Amino acid sequence: MSEEPKPDAKAPAAKAAPAKKTFPPAKFNEKAGRLLKTTRYWPTELWANPWNKPSYRRGALLLGGIILGLLATGAAVGELAVWGDRLYAWLLAFISARGGSPVLAQGIWAVFKGLLVLHVILLNGLWAVWWERKISAHIQSRVGPVYAGGFHGWAQTICDGIKLLLKEDITPAASDAWVHALAPAIVVVPVVAAFAPVSFGRQLAAANLDVGVLYVFAMAGISVIGIVMAGWASGNKYSLLGGLRACAQLVSYELPRGFSIVPVLMFAGSLNISAIAAAQAGYKWGFLPRWFIFYPVVGQLAFLIFLIASIAETNRTPFDIPEAESELVSGFHTEYSGMKWSIFFLSEYGYVLLASFLLAAFFLGGGASPFAFDHLIPSWIWMLGKAMLMMFLFLWARWTFPRLRADQLMDFNWKFLLPWSFANIALAGVWLLLS
Amino acid sequence: MSSTAEKTMKTDSMFINLGPQHPSTHGVLRVGLTIEGELITKAVPDIGYLHRGTSKLAEVRGYHHCVVLTDRWDYVAAMPNNLVFCLAAEKLMEVQAPPRAEALRVLMCELNRVASHLLFFGTYGIDIGAFTPFLYAFREREMILDLFEMACGARLTYNYIRLGGVMADVPPEWLAKCREFVDYFKPRIDEYDTLLTYNPIFMARTKEVGLIPAADAVSWSLSGANLRGSGVCYDVRKSDPYCGYERYSFDVPLGQTGSCWDRYFCRVQEMRQSIRIIEQVLGGLPEGPTMAAGVAKIPKPKPGEAYAHVEGARGDLGIFLVSDGQASPYRMHVRAPSFLNLAILQELLVGNKVSDVIAILGSIDIVLGEVDR
Amino acid sequence: MADIEELASRIAEKLPELSRHPNPVKGYLTLKLEDAAKLPQAAAALKALGFDYLEMISATDWLGAVKPEGYIRNPNPIVFLPEGATPQSVPSATPGFPYRPSFELLWAFADLAAKAWVFLKCEVSREAASVPSLSGLYKGADWQERELFDLMGIRFEGHPNLAKILTPDFLVGHPLRKDYVHVKDRFDE
Repeated sequence: MSEEPKPDAKAPAAKAAPAKKTFPPAKFNEKAGRLLKTTRYWPTELWANPWNKPSYRRGALLLGGIILGLLATGAAVGELAVWGDRLYAWLLAFISARGGSPVLAQGIWAVFKGLLVLHVILLNGLWAVWWERKISAHIQSRVGPVYAGGFHGWAQTICDGIKLLLKEDITPAASDAWVHALAPAIVVVPVVAAFAPVSFGRQLAAANLDVGVLYVFAMAGISVIGIVMAGWASGNKYSLLGGLRACAQLVSYELPRGFSIVPVLMFAGSLNISAIAAAQAGYKWGFLPRWFIFYPVVGQLAFLIFLIASIAETNRTPFDIPEAESELVSGFHTEYSGMKWSIFFLSEYGYVLLASFLLAAFFLGGGASPFAFDHLIPSWIWMLGKAMLMMFLFLWARWTFPRLRADQLMDFNWKFLLPWSFANIALAGVWLLLS
Repeated sequence: MSSTAEKTMKTDSMFINLGPQHPSTHGVLRVGLTIEGELITKAVPDIGYLHRGTSKLAEVRGYHHCVVLTDRWDYVAAMPNNLVFCLAAEKLMEVQAPPRAEALRVLMCELNRVASHLLFFGTYGIDIGAFTPFLYAFREREMILDLFEMACGARLTYNYIRLGGVMADVPPEWLAKCREFVDYFKPRIDEYDTLLTYNPIFMARTKEVGLIPAADAVSWSLSGANLRGSGVCYDVRKSDPYCGYERYSFDVPLGQTGSCWDRYFCRVQEMRQSIRIIEQVLGGLPEGPTMAAGVAKIPKPKPGEAYAHVEGARGDLGIFLVSDGQASPYRMHVRAPSFLNLAILQELLVGNKVSDVIAILGSIDIVLGEVDR
Repeated sequence: MADIEELASRIAEKLPELSRHPNPVKGYLTLKLEDAAKLPQAAAALKALGFDYLEMISATDWLGAVKPEGYIRNPNPIVFLPEGATPQSVPSATPGFPYRPSFELLWAFADLAAKAWVFLKCEVSREAASVPSLSGLYKGADWQERELFDLMGIRFEGHPNLAKILTPDFLVGHPLRKDYVHVKDRFDE
């Protein structure tokens, strides 16, 4: 080691006056012009009683106004089923007058109803995406889309839809092209078909099927084939894992989902969805609706199991292991883009809507009003409101829970949900015996 | 199994690449996984995608310039990187930072630790599938970054801690803002506990997963929350105090089993302790200069070797500096905690499920900039 | 932190062959290992003494000033210097400094319970740079030795998987050696 003292370490210290060596900080910062003078808006400022802000009060008023306006519109329109009957009568008269057979009128009417159901699903896609984005945003202390369309970003999903239509449709080189293209169709067709017997209000269903419940579950079960096809045909190992996971999960959760509504079927004595809703009409003690969810223990247990199994069936968090963005990079639809991808999305939201309407019909009295004194607001408004409430439960769960692991998911199904749904059937039997 | 089934069925293990482009590898890490079904039989971490050779670059740069290089290792918590280089260089140059500068260094490092653990908290939630905590964590992290921007003009790579002190004193309104943040942040940690820590699904995913026994953790040279999660009490701030850490009272949170949850919980608890330290620093911030007198523009320290280490956000961050009397360090070796923490992955992943890979990888809390340097 | 002299006497009882290094790491107990082959025994004895945590493995190439040809671009520490201008400082050797063609390896062991650190230095020649591996004793040595092998070209005998770890496969040479010369590849432009 050299022993000589460092010349340049000591010399400046000797020259500069040590007392005046302090930095002039604030001045230096301002001159440099690069530094933040003060912080940006902090939550501490933003959260100081939002009701003091006029914009917040205006927004609350507006929201109340929108809800009241919807109710008033519903009351003015009246029962949709009545309008439908009038329209069909007019169609029948029109075709008979032109010398056509009633079969033709029935055919046109069936196509019309089919198109209506299809549009319910498409519009639901637009609505649900926007709604989910807004709800997730507010759960996460954000605001979500605000620009597109002007009012709370209402046009956001329309713009997204246009974007998705214009996006390049990519078929990976390693994929099985035909199966890859076919999979979205096989996923989405059963959703549309499954909506046939679903009641949207009193007497408001595309088809009044006597085996409606069985039909819906049978149709919903088909989609898993499409998902496995998508996973396989993508030629991607992650997609394959996702597809296989989806297969195991969907097939397993069919069981508790099916068994959980057996008590409902026992109470209602019918498999027709409209009949099940109708069986819950009336009020106990003059004010408590006779909805199945209000049946002590049996009703709530069945509701919860059906809700959980429905969340699992729709591949949503906490049961989204087939998609599992952070593990499988979106699983079976990793290799899909553009419209093919959005069809997967559409069918997912379609299933959420289906489950919401089923929940409303099975447990919440369908289109029945919760108030005994209310005769004004039509059944379809109530049905829609209840379905949206159920949909909110789906979204709420999605943005609140972490994801389960595949084996925990199976454990939960086979060791918890399924035994309890069996026990619930026994409970329902006891209930029927006693009452 | 019948003989025909044996003939027609062929089971094979599958090799999948986790990364380098994957949402959960937190950077450009590649892990080659051999899986049987969902079970992992072999895991080979592959690093080096972000290797920039800062040790080599330091050999032709002056000491002041090297501070800039340090920012780029652990870019999530760059203050401790600045600090450790400055400590090592100050040992070589025989310079001591003034008390106010030391207090500011502690303050910034602890704020940065909170910011870094917040990032971990958020991304770990995403790894497990909970998206919401991420936004909550970032809301608070943003406030800390605002504070840093007020103090030094940068939000990620600060270059704030310099040889002999800090770049500049904080602006006058900064201390009030920092107190405001501390008051705001303290109840938020309890909120995080309700959001994620004690969530039954989260606990089911992370408890009993990725267990590291204490002996293994020591043998693998783990540090930071990964070591303390296994119950080994080693915190450089306590064991080898620097910058006057011995003056502040704080606890070292320890885990029990070394599971993912324990590591996670250690970090959440460390945020509380960091806030404790910040409060103490704010309570007794000494007046005076923020830069030591006599730091040369082009320092040429006497030949010698120095080792300094600090408790970075990810563990024991050390620097070994050699000077031969020239204006550049003759040799700079970085003891990067992420690099050493990541090495255990090859042993830890085997026997777990694919979903657990993400949980374990996230709980190790690596920053690839520091792994590759 | 434990007192250095007390620590030194404690270690000297068990390991008399380790002498105090004349050129220590500042502030830490630094011991000198004469023969690299004796490293496993010394490390095992240190481990038995409680130094069960391998903090760091490092190495210094004492050849001399670093070669500018080892860099992809001409090292220019002055950022605002115009393109093509002569850099202000070029790596140069200090007159009278004992440069020598050898690697000096450095191991840092820690006793976490006693809060004690001990640094072990050992010099090996540049031509046959090879020392025994510690990966059997300390698992943490695995990647650190691979890193040193990759960047310095020191072979660690007995390492289970002594492969490149940080630099790309096509990179020729060991960049942290002072005489490293960079061979241009397709990623340089």
